[in-house]
Amino acid sequence: MDAVHRVRGGPSRRDVLRGGGALALTGAAGAAVAGCGTGLGVDSDGVVHIEVWHGQTSSALNVVKRLVADFHRSHPKIRIDLSGGVLADDMLQKVMAGLVAGSPPDVAYIFGSDLASVARSSQLADMTTVVESGQVPWKQYWPAARDGVTVDGVVRAVPAVLDALAVVCNKTLFHRAGLDLPAPGWTWQDFVETARKLTDRGKGTFGTGWPAAGDEDTVWRMWPMIWDLGGEVIDEDTRRIGFAGEPGIRALEVLQALAQDRSVYVDPKPGGEQMYQAFASGRLGMVATGPWQLPDIRQAEIDYHVVPLPSFSGRPVTISGPDTWSVFDNGSARLKAARTFVGWLMRPGPAYLWDTGVGSLPQSRPAERRPRWRAHAAEVPGLSVFTEALRTARVRPVDRAYPKISMPFGEAITAVLLGKSTPATALRRCADEANAAMATVR
Amino acid sequence: MSRLPTPITLPDVTPPAGPARRRRRREAATAWAFVLPSVLVILGLSVIPVLWSLLLSFQYSDLLTPSVWVGWDNYRQLADDPQFGQAVRNTLVYTALYVPLSIGLGLFLALVLNRRIRFVGLYRTLLFVPFVVSAAAQGVLFAFILDPEFGAANSLLHRIGVSPQGFLSDPAQALLVLVGISLWSGTGFCVVIYLAALQDVPRELVEAATLDGADRRHVLRHVTLPTIAPVSVFLLLWQTITALQVFDLVYVTTKGGPLGSTTVIVYFVWEQAFRNFTAGYGAAAAYVLGAALLLIAAGTRLVRRREDRRLKGATS
Repeated sequence: MDAVHRVRGGPSRRDVLRGGGALALTGAAGAAVAGCGTGLGVDSDGVVHIEVWHGQTSSALNVVKRLVADFHRSHPKIRIDLSGGVLADDMLQKVMAGLVAGSPPDVAYIFGSDLASVARSSQLADMTTVVESGQVPWKQYWPAARDGVTVDGVVRAVPAVLDALAVVCNKTLFHRAGLDLPAPGWTWQDFVETARKLTDRGKGTFGTGWPAAGDEDTVWRMWPMIWDLGGEVIDEDTRRIGFAGEPGIRALEVLQALAQDRSVYVDPKPGGEQMYQAFASGRLGMVATGPWQLPDIRQAEIDYHVVPLPSFSGRPVTISGPDTWSVFDNGSARLKAARTFVGWLMRPGPAYLWDTGVGSLPQSRPAERRPRWRAHAAEVPGLSVFTEALRTARVRPVDRAYPKISMPFGEAITAVLLGKSTPATALRRCADEANAAMATVR
Repeated sequence: MSRLPTPITLPDVTPPAGPARRRRRREAATAWAFVLPSVLVILGLSVIPVLWSLLLSFQYSDLLTPSVWVGWDNYRQLADDPQFGQAVRNTLVYTALYVPLSIGLGLFLALVLNRRIRFVGLYRTLLFVPFVVSAAAQGVLFAFILDPEFGAANSLLHRIGVSPQGFLSDPAQALLVLVGISLWSGTGFCVVIYLAALQDVPRELVEAATLDGADRRHVLRHVTLPTIAPVSVFLLLWQTITALQVFDLVYVTTKGGPLGSTTVIVYFVWEQAFRNFTAGYGAAAAYVLGAALLLIAAGTRLVRRREDRRLKGATS
């Protein structure tokens, strides 16, 4: 007698397993055949599916969704999948993991400071043909927008969000302190003095704020000072930092003065979130920020004024940190579709919707001159100051050694802000660490 | 009808012939088909990554470009790296503070909550709630409370006449503050485990000790603590592993700062792999931590085995 009693009428365990195995094999074979015929991500009817990791939340996410809906209407043969992504702050890690696993998205929103690191991958597409076939000539884009996506002379992405640093002042606090609002051409010395006069610790108000988590947000605000003083991020020989010595020390001395006056709110949290909240609640007199912060400031009903960044020389200089749309090569059909989508985003209509929706500056001079943008800029006080600043804006070098400079410099800045080190000592340590680390990259 | 038990016979040692062998093979295939998904998951998600990262730790690799075999160089470099040294020191200090404090506090609270008091269920629940809150949420919450300028903590200290503290912005305090935050959430776990253990302490032993004239202190010292000793060993091991692997709280609150004062080993590994793009170096650091954890686990096992042997010797 058989040891195993079978249930009469139903399939046996073995039959189920056999059936399952056959189904799985059929499925795999089907996928392989489909793969051979039309390429992965392509339906039998020729519709190409691409994955876009946008990294946006709330209102910006709504803009992305609206743009994708518009794109689907005009491009029925391309479908965009917005799922499976990550927030912009963690995009680099997620994309890196995707690249290592051999399954990056087709399009990803990558911070400008991370582009050089991603560009080490051969899967990052060359976007030269896309930017050159755009409706607006590539040369009409702001230099900062172009430089921010060019790695080793090749356009490796398309600018997504363009910004520039300027100083936003709380008019009420200026008025209360009996101070005139700063004007273009002011100096860092003026900035320090104004911050001191605006500070009233009894009432919990500070002249200004500075992020001190030691991350990129702490660091990038320093580069305009360094450039103004004749320094560079990376020296000409590309093997050392270009701000050791006077440019670095004088720039750090500004922070030291602010810290000694106790007129700066030092925000220890990553992202400078608390600093912006302090400004939005009327506790900070001035904050160096980009146009992305204006919607929150307006929502908080702060009566504000925007002025270009101060300088040492009186010449205007600022920094722009453009974010990018980066495209990855996942086969010819998907690459073509991804390039089509990103190229479409550069068209005037979608670009206007995107720029105004996410708080970006216009990417090109023609875009700035359009009546629609002018009308928008007239509605948002201070926006034109940021746009004007783009004329003198520079970008961080798009170089894979950059993170190795940013990290020790972030520590140096934090040490000075917390009063734990002098500018000279902090800078010496930063130079030693950064130069040693750069040697391993070159 | 015979009711006599049938004798047990050993199966034939000669290999079964023909259909029987085929059936056995089919049975084996069926069994493999059932366990295959789990085997694949374990291989794919545990074994292969562990081996792959071991290989990675002997390479110079940025994950994207072809890697270079460098042998023990990454490990040698770790030995000379002051930042790694600081990360190890911070991790050890964190562990040395967090583990005994969380276990001690957990035991104390469990002893208190093991008594018949009003609303004890409510107190137990309240103590466990912080354990359920994610480290990310804790980080954000405490970062706001402990803000040196606008936080509630300093305003409270101001009211009682204590000068304002830097908390997470002060390199001398940041690690201690992180230990404090971890205790707030991690003690609840020890309390729950100890409460369960305390309820298993044989009542007759306690009563016998009381009849012999032992007061509460003696009962605790000679009855309760020895009975719950295995649980204490478990908690010691568990909390040590948790403390050595701390990452999320650091990532959310300080990102290793200020000035590296809260950089722990796992954060150091993350930083090397995803900020510096030196994945091989990061993997080597991860293996140093892995080896330490293995040593701790093996050491605890050895101690327990000896203890068991000693107890057996005493009772036999």
